[in-house]
Amino acid sequence: MSSQAHASPPTTRRRRSTGRRLAPYFFVAPFFLLFAIFWVYPIAYSFVLSFINTRQRPWTFDWDFNWGRLIQDDFFWNALGNTMIILAVQVPLMLALATLLAVAFNSELLKLKGFYRFAFFAPLVLGAVPYSAVFRLVFNEQYGVLNYALESIGLGAVPWLYESTPALITIMIAMTWRWTGYNAVILLSGLQSIPLALYEAARIDGAGPFQQFFKITIPMLRPVLLFTFVLSTIGTLQLFTEPWLITTTGPGNATETLVTYLYKQGFRSFNFGYASAIAYTVALIAVIFSLLQIRLVGGREVER
Amino acid sequence: MKKLLLALAALTAFGFASAQTLTVWVWDINKPALESTIDSFQEMHPGVEVVVEDLGNQNVYDRGLAGCAAGGFDMPDVYLVENNEAEVFWAQFPDCFTDLTTLGGEELLPLFPDFKWSELTAGDAIYAVPFDSGPTAMFYRRDLYEQAGVDATAIETWDDYIAAGVAINETFDGNVKVGMMGKGSDDEWFRMLANQAGCFYFDQAATEVTVNQPGCVQAMETMKDVWDSGAIRAGGWVEQIQSFQNDELASAFFGSWYTGTIQAEAPDQAGQWGVYLTPAFEEGGVRASNLGGSALAIPASSDNPELAYDFVVNALADEDNQLNILNNYGLTPSLLSLGNAPELSEGVDYWGGQAIWEDILGTLGDVPAVSGTRYFQEARNVMIVVVNDYLDGNYDSAQAALDDAASQIAASTGLPVAD
Repeated sequence: MSSQAHASPPTTRRRRSTGRRLAPYFFVAPFFLLFAIFWVYPIAYSFVLSFINTRQRPWTFDWDFNWGRLIQDDFFWNALGNTMIILAVQVPLMLALATLLAVAFNSELLKLKGFYRFAFFAPLVLGAVPYSAVFRLVFNEQYGVLNYALESIGLGAVPWLYESTPALITIMIAMTWRWTGYNAVILLSGLQSIPLALYEAARIDGAGPFQQFFKITIPMLRPVLLFTFVLSTIGTLQLFTEPWLITTTGPGNATETLVTYLYKQGFRSFNFGYASAIAYTVALIAVIFSLLQIRLVGGREVER
Repeated sequence: MKKLLLALAALTAFGFASAQTLTVWVWDINKPALESTIDSFQEMHPGVEVVVEDLGNQNVYDRGLAGCAAGGFDMPDVYLVENNEAEVFWAQFPDCFTDLTTLGGEELLPLFPDFKWSELTAGDAIYAVPFDSGPTAMFYRRDLYEQAGVDATAIETWDDYIAAGVAINETFDGNVKVGMMGKGSDDEWFRMLANQAGCFYFDQAATEVTVNQPGCVQAMETMKDVWDSGAIRAGGWVEQIQSFQNDELASAFFGSWYTGTIQAEAPDQAGQWGVYLTPAFEEGGVRASNLGGSALAIPASSDNPELAYDFVVNALADEDNQLNILNNYGLTPSLLSLGNAPELSEGVDYWGGQAIWEDILGTLGDVPAVSGTRYFQEARNVMIVVVNDYLDGNYDSAQAALDDAASQIAASTGLPVAD
């Protein structure tokens, strides 16, 4: 090889440089191939499917069959409504809680910081199935520890899993338990990037802890808050595990979400076309919400 | 290409591994029941391993449909399917299961009642063999009823049942309930009562939605009476088992296959259980209905369809095996030749010496026949919600609730609502 290279250096160099130019494409090709097969193709195909009547064979093209049904389908609107309630109630509560937690994690007054950070992050390490099974036990109407606790302090037992509003609250409590620590850790990293000099200057100017929190911490945290907000919104729109495993989307369809409904249509009734239409609706809503949030919350970030 | 190679590699690996192994997917009590037939099967086919896996009821359905959608990948050799859910498979995936006529399945046709076949055949093809039936009955705790001063043999109507429930409620301060209803999680009570009244989601030919017909209305109203009495509790499959294990449930209303679950989950309550027939709507009315019942099918992807067929025939069409399954696991046979078996009239120790099979099987002839359809799941999803909302008082009347249900089922299936 090397003697050949000595014999005709110019050609080899040119050849090698062609090879060099092409080589990277070979290295990235497997990824793009897999990406095309497992991502691009299904995304495109499900779009096509949403215009096909797949209720029975043979499948036939019918452009408004699924989309027309979507608009009239009470079950879809109920699922959308439930998802929106969780989005409007649980996400802000959880992020407020996460922010407070992050501030606590960051406080110099707190001992055993590492332990607390781990403890609040731990729910995420636990598998979703065992966690859901435990929540079912905790919220069990007759034997659950939660009702036992409520009764022992003189409050009545709540039928957590068998009435609509308590069931939805159960889901929100479970989600909050699972995701607050995660968001707190992300927010903590944001907190740690705020220059301490700002607080020092504020203290010298006579600002109290509350003023510091609202005038420095929150504004400086805005981009990270936005990030957790968008993430939580998308996560809520894709909510499946908790309602599926803890309340089995019940009672009735009180905790049905967009994605559990999608799953039922796709894999219980085998109506892929309708499931695809729901999937695209979820994606569309996610895009709209993300844009809105970036506009509303991230506006000033862009100016800066 | 890579994907293809991988798939091929996986397939050959599966092929070698399963050359002499049959995998069977089932749920709950069916696992030990079918396992009890393995010995006699191995006498015919020594060296063939049979692995019976309990995946849970819904999971068997979900994974089976997913496997069929994937062209028969990741499927067992023998597949348990509930009769009223079966037709979606033949309709959506006619090539996913072996047509048993290619294995000599016609020989089985005269061995089982016609109504069991209606959901398992499509055209000339036979896709599954009938396993058990699910004639309903009320399973009750003799000791708890007695303590409340209720005579179970005197219960004839749903009103009597409610009165019994109220008495039990008072005796035990509300800690023991007369029954449990899967309110909001399943509509089994509705299906059992509607069947009793001769009504179903759809008509026999499965061309119209009939869920708002008078029989179903009567079923709904009765359910509401039972629920409003406060003598019954909401809960699903697991909660019901927990409840009777803890002596907090005096009776359970289900298909006859539930006897096996009770015996398996509460062996220490032997002798304390008894059975009375499903209460009638009015005195002298029908005291029979059916819930569930399943069948065994052979996925077309099986490497050993002949072996699988022999396993199925041996388990389901052999009198000894079926009698054994009935006696030990409480699954009601569909095999016609067992109708007059003397063993059925014997008392069963667990059930306080009562000849429960004579009583339960005696109702089979009164069960109004209904046919499931491939739209069973759609209709069920709607009914779970409507029943729940109706019991919560969100509808003015049972008729209004069922009219709403009918229009929703029509919208999701494309079938018209019957006049």
